[in-house]
Amino acid sequence: MNCSDVRDSIESYITDDLSDTESAKVAAHLAACDGCATAYEETRALVAGLSGIAESFVPRERFVPERPYAPRPVGGWGWRIAAVAASILALLAISALSVPAIARELPLPLAREIDALEQTNETLKEQVDELTVRLETIGGVEVAIVDTAPGDVAPEVAEAVKTLAMDFVRAQYSGDLEALAAMGTQRLRADLTAHPEDYLRARDAAVVFAQMTEPVDAGDGTFLIFVRLSDSADWVDSQYQEDFEIKLIDGVYLVDFMGMDA
Amino acid sequence: MEDHELVRRAQSGDDRSFATLVRRHERTLYATAYAITRSQWDAADAVQDALTDAYLNITALRDPTRFAAWVSRIVVNRCNGLLRRRSRVVPLEEPPEPQAFVWDGPEDGIDLMRALQSLSPDHREVIALRYFRDLKVDDVAAVLGCPPGTVKSRINRALASLQATLSRDHSAQEV
Ligand SMILES: [Zn+2]
Repeated sequence: MNCSDVRDSIESYITDDLSDTESAKVAAHLAACDGCATAYEETRALVAGLSGIAESFVPRERFVPERPYAPRPVGGWGWRIAAVAASILALLAISALSVPAIARELPLPLAREIDALEQTNETLKEQVDELTVRLETIGGVEVAIVDTAPGDVAPEVAEAVKTLAMDFVRAQYSGDLEALAAMGTQRLRADLTAHPEDYLRARDAAVVFAQMTEPVDAGDGTFLIFVRLSDSADWVDSQYQEDFEIKLIDGVYLVDFMGMDA
Repeated sequence: MEDHELVRRAQSGDDRSFATLVRRHERTLYATAYAITRSQWDAADAVQDALTDAYLNITALRDPTRFAAWVSRIVVNRCNGLLRRRSRVVPLEEPPEPQAFVWDGPEDGIDLMRALQSLSPDHREVIALRYFRDLKVDDVAAVLGCPPGTVKSRINRALASLQATLSRDHSAQEV
């Protein structure tokens, strides 16, 4: 075995992936060659370091599988707005829940994580502050509203869109298919009839409205709004997002599309 | 209980067994996703989505002893999907300190992770699968869909380049 062969085999030698014969050849070479012995020591330290940090990452988010009302692909609107709003909400999901009024309503473990975050997350809180999050009372419930597109939509329109989205979510949790149909356009009603399971949520779960984006006017009488929700059921707590397309038809706001986002 | 037994139970509908698998693998899956996406937040999203995929498709895993490689592949797929999407939007700025995760390791481990983040995507991916996920070369090859020989040489090049980065950082500190 020459030096080049040995260098190629060092990693396998360290991780014990060589046959006994090959392993013995490498060992013999290392004993006799200073250059390869140094390379071996460096690689061994590096591999040990990498293996040693694998378990060091403790994600703050508690990973829980979604229950079988599986997320449907989000489609039908500009991916750009959707992706931006999704990433903003993902950021807020971890941090801006520190709004105390919201935190109080959340299941305990999450509230505790938020407490921990509040102490450590000054930088992130500043970023979130810049996004302007404010508490707004909609239909008697306090919700954190994220200003993704300030001034885009008239206040009374925004109010109507937000109220509709919240009523829709409530009907999902109370299992009221009739109410859902009444809040939907023809397109949504057809989808609701075909896949009611996509719209119904766990009946015994308590839902919390974590955040909402300010509605965005997508033109042609369509408004986009993203609602971040948290609920808790038997063995999981989960956070997810519902993306709405809401249309104004004959003076009435109706849900034209609802998609779930993890 | 070993992974493959938990997988069998999860396949017959035992959610607690699946939850145990999640607890057992989430750290190294997160580390892998973080190495690939280089974003703490994207890594969390990728792992969450991947575990949902795994949960919904667990019965499709024919050989329960391959769970570690199987779920690694799902995470790699989710990361690549996120990276494709992210290339079209303005990514969130990464904070200097970890915020989406808590560091529960040796102090110099963070430096090693930083050095790893400076490697090419191919190299980060292969290092994460091999050392974070502790997969055999054949399993890494199966996850990435390339021959084991390619994996081996990629690992060697990745380690060399990581070594070079570390000694460069080290000598920069001494100046
Ligand atoms: Zn030599």
